[in-house]
Amino acid sequence: MRVDSKDLLRCPVCEAVNLDKGKRNICRRCGRRIYSHRKFRTEKSWAYLIAAIIFYIPANLYPMLIIDQFGIKTSSTILGGVIELWEHGSYPIAVIILVASIFVPIFKFLMLIYLLVEVEYYGFRKDKKIDKFKVYYLAEIIGPWSMIDVFVVALLVGLIHLSSVEMITGFASTSFAVSVLLTILAAKTFDIRVIKKD
Amino acid sequence: MEIEIQSEEELDNYTICHRCHTLHRNKVLADGTKALCTECGAVLYQKNRALIKNGLALSISGLIFFALANLFPLIKVQLVSEEQSISVLSMLFGLIDGGYYIVGFFVGFLVFVFPLMVFMIYFVLFLALRLRKGRELSRDLLILLAFVLPWNMSDIFLISILVALVKLFGMLEVQMGVSFWNFIAFVALDLYMTRNIHIGELWELRDEVYRRKQQ
Repeated sequence: MRVDSKDLLRCPVCEAVNLDKGKRNICRRCGRRIYSHRKFRTEKSWAYLIAAIIFYIPANLYPMLIIDQFGIKTSSTILGGVIELWEHGSYPIAVIILVASIFVPIFKFLMLIYLLVEVEYYGFRKDKKIDKFKVYYLAEIIGPWSMIDVFVVALLVGLIHLSSVEMITGFASTSFAVSVLLTILAAKTFDIRVIKKD
Repeated sequence: MEIEIQSEEELDNYTICHRCHTLHRNKVLADGTKALCTECGAVLYQKNRALIKNGLALSISGLIFFALANLFPLIKVQLVSEEQSISVLSMLFGLIDGGYYIVGFFVGFLVFVFPLMVFMIYFVLFLALRLRKGRELSRDLLILLAFVLPWNMSDIFLISILVALVKLFGMLEVQMGVSFWNFIAFVALDLYMTRNIHIGELWELRDEVYRRKQQ
């Protein structure tokens, strides 16, 4: 039997090569269903992505870290924290936080929107300039790195409980963590089969 | 590209690149060599005849480092006469006590539960393969591993610890605890294992081990 490589798919769980039998695929090696959401194509991804963008807004507006020093509270948002670090002269750290919490999520939103719009409205149009599989791979890889700021705040909040200085976190850390979780889920539920090779 | 196959089982001779989704025909490799994707250069699979032995040794040392990294304080700070220290677990309890339930649980799973699960799975899996027992168990473990692996964020947590340290250096007197160095060793092992052990290879190894047993 002759098989076109377009009709083959890679099991996301065990990496085995499988024949694409259309709506319902069960992996021949691990027995898991491959992309079992039969009725939806991109809707699930859209839903997670939109929710992630919504949660990203309060993450930037509310304070991420509140420093209580001798009873005087100073709070800073993500961007405010970056500017503060820059002014103090910690340039590398400012750049890391800026990239991880501002650039990475926004790039990931844009990449996922590009992929979803492309497969939804332009069908399997040949776009030779951009390899969509690579865009997807990049979106999947960079996503978790935006957790850096949440981890840093978690460490500082856990550590600094002194009588003169105390650090607490605001609503931003919760909504930021939820936003990252949702973007990872948006990438995971994206059905790679809708990107076809030409 | 079109390929000619007799049955679906023959698809075992092919690999799809995880990065660019190009189809490749598998080749027999010499021990200690890797197969790279012709399109994007990603490592597709590699041959390591001592994979079970190495994997078992690496997972045991990983678990030891993990235990040491969580038993002792990670960072200590000092301001005048006051001293505070933090470990991963005290950080998590602190977050939950402070009412940050979502962040607490989230961080707890990403930097404690999932890394521990990954190494436990590797350990039990390699043990099962070595003893050639638990055919069903090894399948379930491999499926679980595929779901847990992307959620293991210990490497990102290490970078976060470094960022937090630099942030604190200016304000207070900071000391790295015993766990800090163990955590670095744990992350190094974790990165080495996730880079060099591919899930597809483990499935093939599993098929091979139990096929040999049946004969």
